[in-house]
Amino acid sequence: MENARNKAEVLQGTLILLVLQTLESLGPLHGYGVARRIEQISQETLQLNQGTLYPALLRMEQEGWITSCWSTSENNRKAKFYAISATGRKRLVRETEDWRRISSTIERFLELQTSSPAKGRS
Amino acid sequence: MSWASVQAARLRGLLRSFRGRTHLDDELDDEVQFHLEMQIEDNLKAGMDPAEAKQAARRSFGSVAAMQQSYREGSSITLIEEAAQDLRYALRLLRLSPGFAFTAVMVLTLAIGANTAMFSVLNTVLLQPLPYHAPERLAVLWTEDPSRNFREGRSALWDVQQWRAHSRSLEDLATYDAMSMFLTGPGGVEQITGAGISPNLLPMLGVQPLLGRGFTAEEVAQGQRHILISHGFWQARLGGSPGALGTTLTVNNRPSQIIGILPPGFQVARLNADIWEAHGRPEGVRGREAWFVMGRLRPGATFEQAQADITAGASQWREQLPAEARGRTIRVVPLNLYLVGAQSRMGLWMLGGGVFCVFLIAAANVTSLSLARSAVRMREIAMRAALGASAARILRQLCTEGFLLALIAGLCGTLLASVFIHLIRAFGPDNLPRLKDAALDPLVLACALAITLLAGILVGLPPALALLRRDLRPSGAEGGRSVSGGVGVRRVRQSLVVADFALAIMLLAGAGLLIRSWWNVSGVDPGFRSERVLVMELSAPMALSVPAKQSLYQQVLETVQALPDVEQAGYIGELFKQNNRQEMVTVDQGNNGTASGRLQFSAEEISAHLLQALGTPLLRGRPFSNQDRPETTPVAIINDAMARRSWPGKDPLGRRFKLGPLDSASPWYTVVGVVANVRAQGPEREAFPQMFVPLAQSTPPRTLDLFLRTAAKDPQRMANTIRKAVHGLEKNASLGAAASLEEQFGAYTAERRFQTALLIAFSLTALLMAAVGINGLIQYSIATRTQEIGVRLAVGAQTGEIFRMILAEGLKLGLIGIAVGMPVALLLGQAGANLLFGVSPTDPATLLVVSILPVAVAAASCVVPARRAMRIDPILALRQY
Repeated sequence: MENARNKAEVLQGTLILLVLQTLESLGPLHGYGVARRIEQISQETLQLNQGTLYPALLRMEQEGWITSCWSTSENNRKAKFYAISATGRKRLVRETEDWRRISSTIERFLELQTSSPAKGRS
Repeated sequence: MSWASVQAARLRGLLRSFRGRTHLDDELDDEVQFHLEMQIEDNLKAGMDPAEAKQAARRSFGSVAAMQQSYREGSSITLIEEAAQDLRYALRLLRLSPGFAFTAVMVLTLAIGANTAMFSVLNTVLLQPLPYHAPERLAVLWTEDPSRNFREGRSALWDVQQWRAHSRSLEDLATYDAMSMFLTGPGGVEQITGAGISPNLLPMLGVQPLLGRGFTAEEVAQGQRHILISHGFWQARLGGSPGALGTTLTVNNRPSQIIGILPPGFQVARLNADIWEAHGRPEGVRGREAWFVMGRLRPGATFEQAQADITAGASQWREQLPAEARGRTIRVVPLNLYLVGAQSRMGLWMLGGGVFCVFLIAAANVTSLSLARSAVRMREIAMRAALGASAARILRQLCTEGFLLALIAGLCGTLLASVFIHLIRAFGPDNLPRLKDAALDPLVLACALAITLLAGILVGLPPALALLRRDLRPSGAEGGRSVSGGVGVRRVRQSLVVADFALAIMLLAGAGLLIRSWWNVSGVDPGFRSERVLVMELSAPMALSVPAKQSLYQQVLETVQALPDVEQAGYIGELFKQNNRQEMVTVDQGNNGTASGRLQFSAEEISAHLLQALGTPLLRGRPFSNQDRPETTPVAIINDAMARRSWPGKDPLGRRFKLGPLDSASPWYTVVGVVANVRAQGPEREAFPQMFVPLAQSTPPRTLDLFLRTAAKDPQRMANTIRKAVHGLEKNASLGAAASLEEQFGAYTAERRFQTALLIAFSLTALLMAAVGINGLIQYSIATRTQEIGVRLAVGAQTGEIFRMILAEGLKLGLIGIAVGMPVALLLGQAGANLLFGVSPTDPATLLVVSILPVAVAAASCVVPARRAMRIDPILALRQY
């Protein structure tokens, strides 16, 4: 139970990054495809409530980071496809940089923590 | 940047939603459908059976409804969408009960309109600053002698010089006065309103002429004849052309050059004039006490300091004043207070309070009616809450109805206010400065908006809160009874009705007292008969000698008397006095004793038969006759007030008196008649001593008021006929505009009539609203007590008892309201006692009569519902159980 909740919290903040990255690497994709891809790559450690994807996609479209159009899917069904836009690419670059910076800072912080008790002992 | 594009997208979504169900909703459904189908396919491929696949798909998707909600909120501006929904719903509800909607809107429209109009009046008369620089530092200065009741007296120029020299708090002082001026034009000589001012008056007020420039002290000292003209005069007579600047007009037979044109609407305090002249200071001479004085405080000084300053400084020059002037004091009055006196201010603020009370009553009534309606919607509200509406959402929806009513009423009310303002401008009293400027300017419109919002809150919030406070369970047996509103709503409505009546009695008491005062004022005998009397000011040219003037006046009078339709005619120096003079009068007491004393006094020259013409009763003695000529003994007729003051308890006929001290050179007058008092300062001021002397025996004054009582249908034509006759007799004489005596005398009470009329209107409106309120409440009460009444009837009560029961319920509320409101009415009466005349604020008779009215209204409003209650069929009523 707690695991699921933790996973959900982590996901909220990074959903935009994940969606943009997915669309960048896989090209135009429908909502279901994006959801499956995220679950695949994260190797089932991130299990999002798939429904929460759609309001996020709406928001991203309003921001101008992605565009949408209706088309036919691989099995001849009508589906709404999303693609990343130029603005979206810029956003992706920024989000990636932010994420890398934060995670390396935290990495360093954790290293310091683990090394100091050893110092104290000697 | 991106925030803007998000908001823009949401706005687009909003606009799309107004055109019906959105495309976006359908698309989302399709997407969700696709997603679930794909997930189910994958689940099937993974080996689940169909039912399991579906369930798993749904589970991994999460709550569709919650997602849809979230999506909708993101795609549009839901606040506005919901507000639009609420508005549509509220409109629909109002259409379903047109009676309520009409009553509510009408009542609120009246209230908002009246309040907006009243605020506009208060704004222009009291709140807006005067059109001068720093008007809060301007003051008017009076020379007074309070021990002799001599107030608001004018001052001499030399005195003003001393004040300027010795005052530390006053930055500057200027003088002004009205002057009669005669303009010589191609059509003859015409009398126009003029004014004389000191050269520093315009700079002190901070007023710049629209064109040209003002006066300078040097030019005045050199004796140059310059004039300033008013904007109205410039437009009307000189065509508003800039070329008028620099031209010369013949004023008082002297060429005067126009050096400036004043801004539109320019006035000095109450003084309005077409032509303005400057006067200098006569060196070495004190000058007559004839000038109005205005002063400006130094920045940082207060009026009290200026007053103290001048009073202290007065001792320094007191010795240089003539004997009779030494006892005088100087009073400094802020300009605002002079223009609108304390009494008028009080009257206006009270009217403002009154009209706000009417607004509160109106709001209370509509709230009360709203509460009744909202009680019926309990089930609907409970359902909404069960379906997931938040308390805030429900509150918003309930309030929308109230706000909608207020908004409609606000629009109609603003239109109504413009009608009211128009009426006030046309019929309001003239002595309230700037009343004619009242208009719907932006500040007034802002006030209308504020009042509308207030109405919306008062009308929308209480029913909403009342409903929310109830237990929002879906209805059952409990819900059925709570539909009838329960005790809580009933109590609130009852207290609203009580408040209605309390406010109504306050207004009624005020109106009643003012009506009594007005009645008393009307009953004051003016001392003359004013019907069908015209008054015109006749002026003889200065150049005319004394005998020539006498002859002119005589000839004009004979001509006028000979005209058909003229019943009586006569002259008097001035009938209505602006100010009182103080005169020393020496009186012969008989037994060789004389007494001298100061009297607030006026002396007038009159033609022989004027007093008869006016209809002033002769109490003793004889009127003037043609026997009273320059060579016979100087005679005088005095009024009753003077007789009582100078010869108390004795018969004044045959006694003598003179003006001035015993040794003065003025002649002794013999009293030949005593007439009733003429109210020369309006019906509300006490009559003061007056003496009349025959025109034939005195030096003819420059101007006289010509009176004629005429049956003529067209007074203007008569005036023109007379004017032509005067012009024929003497080219340079002039006759002013004709005014009706009734109107002139009526002007004294114009303000009182205005206040009384308004307060009557307010109190009747309040009473009407209280009637509507109590009627609604009683009807509602009967509707909710139908079962109870049915039971009573079934168990054996008489229909008469039911009738009395209902009536008693209504009367009880009315009486409680009166009991609550009466003490407040008494308090307010004390505060506004200055406005009353001849009646005390706690006059029992008035208050009693005034209390009967609301009781009668309460009874009458309850009668119809009570009769209906009597006719309730007990069987039907019980079946409702």
